[in-house]
Amino acid sequence: MELLNVTDLGKRYGEANAVNGVTFQIEEGKCVSLLGANGAGKTTTLKMLSGLLEPTSGNIYFQGTKHKDLRRFIGYLPQYPSFFNWMSGKEFLIFAAELANINRKDAVKRSEELLERVGLSDAKKRKIGGYSGGMKQRLGIAQALIHRPKLLILDEPVSALDPLGRREVLDMMREIKKETTILFSTHVLHDAQEISDDILIMNDGEIAISGQLETVIKQYQQPIIRIEFISEPYEWLKNIETQSFVSEIAIQGNVAKIGVTDIENDSQTLLKEIVEQRISIRKFELEQTTLEDLFMKVVKA
Amino acid sequence: MTQWRVLYRKELLEMIRNYKVMWIPLVFMLLGVMQPISSYYMPEILDNFGGLPEGAIIEMPLPTGAEVLMGVLSNYGMLGVLILVLSAMGIVSAEKQSGVLGTVMSKPVPHSSYILSKWAGLVTITLLSLFIGYIASWYYTNLLIESVTAERVFQSFAIYSIWLIFVVTLTLFFSTVMKGNGSVAFMTILIVAVLSTVTSIMENKMKWSPATLTNHTGYLLQSGELQSSFLPAFLNTIALIILVLFFTIQIFKHKEFRE
Repeated sequence: MELLNVTDLGKRYGEANAVNGVTFQIEEGKCVSLLGANGAGKTTTLKMLSGLLEPTSGNIYFQGTKHKDLRRFIGYLPQYPSFFNWMSGKEFLIFAAELANINRKDAVKRSEELLERVGLSDAKKRKIGGYSGGMKQRLGIAQALIHRPKLLILDEPVSALDPLGRREVLDMMREIKKETTILFSTHVLHDAQEISDDILIMNDGEIAISGQLETVIKQYQQPIIRIEFISEPYEWLKNIETQSFVSEIAIQGNVAKIGVTDIENDSQTLLKEIVEQRISIRKFELEQTTLEDLFMKVVKA
Repeated sequence: MTQWRVLYRKELLEMIRNYKVMWIPLVFMLLGVMQPISSYYMPEILDNFGGLPEGAIIEMPLPTGAEVLMGVLSNYGMLGVLILVLSAMGIVSAEKQSGVLGTVMSKPVPHSSYILSKWAGLVTITLLSLFIGYIASWYYTNLLIESVTAERVFQSFAIYSIWLIFVVTLTLFFSTVMKGNGSVAFMTILIVAVLSTVTSIMENKMKWSPATLTNHTGYLLQSGELQSSFLPAFLNTIALIILVLFFTIQIFKHKEFRE
């Protein structure tokens, strides 16, 4: 079932278009990641969806209807979540619950439940000012979930965390995804690949690629031959580039990634060349393009 | 309405946790009590600072109780206003800067509830401070100078509160509209100062001005009566407060919470 339908959503700041008419759908129960370089318009898009920014154009349909105030359906975790540092974690959650029109008694119960769930039970009475970055992030997720939103929007939930904190948050997201639809932005492609069902790639305020993660990867997947040289055979690579079976070459230092059409035949050809030309190599690998390669291609295009 | 109550309770709790609820009334108490005490001890004070030159004969009548209380309110008009404005300048802008405003507004909170809870919090601390300070000054005035009737004290308190409420409403407006705390305080003080000065220079043309309320308080303290121009000034100030609040809410609605 379709939960969110966004059509031609745009946001202008004066002359600049931060988001330039994006259209996409989110299915209920899916975990969707929004990828893009810094400044691609991810945060602006998420803020419009969560009701913190007014779009300059376009429509947002939630469960088929256009609501005046979407906020009660949506839980939002900002990129840099901040709280009232003089409150304790528990106080803040009760406060957030009451703001979402939950009565005091249920608010207390729900807060305890979520504190347990995000692993902050031991710290619930401490002032938020003394929390670590990871704890704040988890409290941020708890406050976003407090009113049982239909859609959880997380803006860069793991980017600012250390590996341990990142793992914790990712595991938490995997749990949450069982019952709530999630839309999260990230520029850590590995995370997107790990937990999302669908992906949206934004570039320059537009959606460049969208679809099911596996389909997208398959669709844009390309066989690649990765050769690590001992010294960079520049001339030879230039020569290779002109051959018909090579679609592209990306060179990074001593490593060349050569996009080919038929991996078996073409690797034979390349190997033969290497032997004939007496080029010394350290590694010769056959690979498939990853999400990262796709991302780089979109962003650089 | 529920959210308003939750937010107002948060404002009160915050003022208790950061001791605002203690130190602002305390400052108002000091500012106020200084007046009757210094009036009473003026001859001794002068003596201590070297006294008057030999042969100079200056009559120093003790001021009346009403005059002392007018002096108290005039202290509040200067330093009191400054302290209220400085303590309230970040009321919205600081939450905007820290980003916590985004967290609050991502919940289904009506924009009006947010602003009105802030306003109610400011009005609470203002009235509390003025009341405690003024009552303390009244006590010392009765003790050291002469007694002033409770009726006049409470009436003048009521009128003067409206002026202070007008001032904090302006602070709330600028705190919502502007970014830096400093500029919020500057703009509010500037407007209050210009309004007061222009009002006292062109008294005849400025009968509607909220700043005349301070004159009305003085007149009431001395004569126990209100001037005929009080009602229009009073109604106009109330109208201005409502108008400023209305614009604050409207602007807040269309402001964006960019971090």
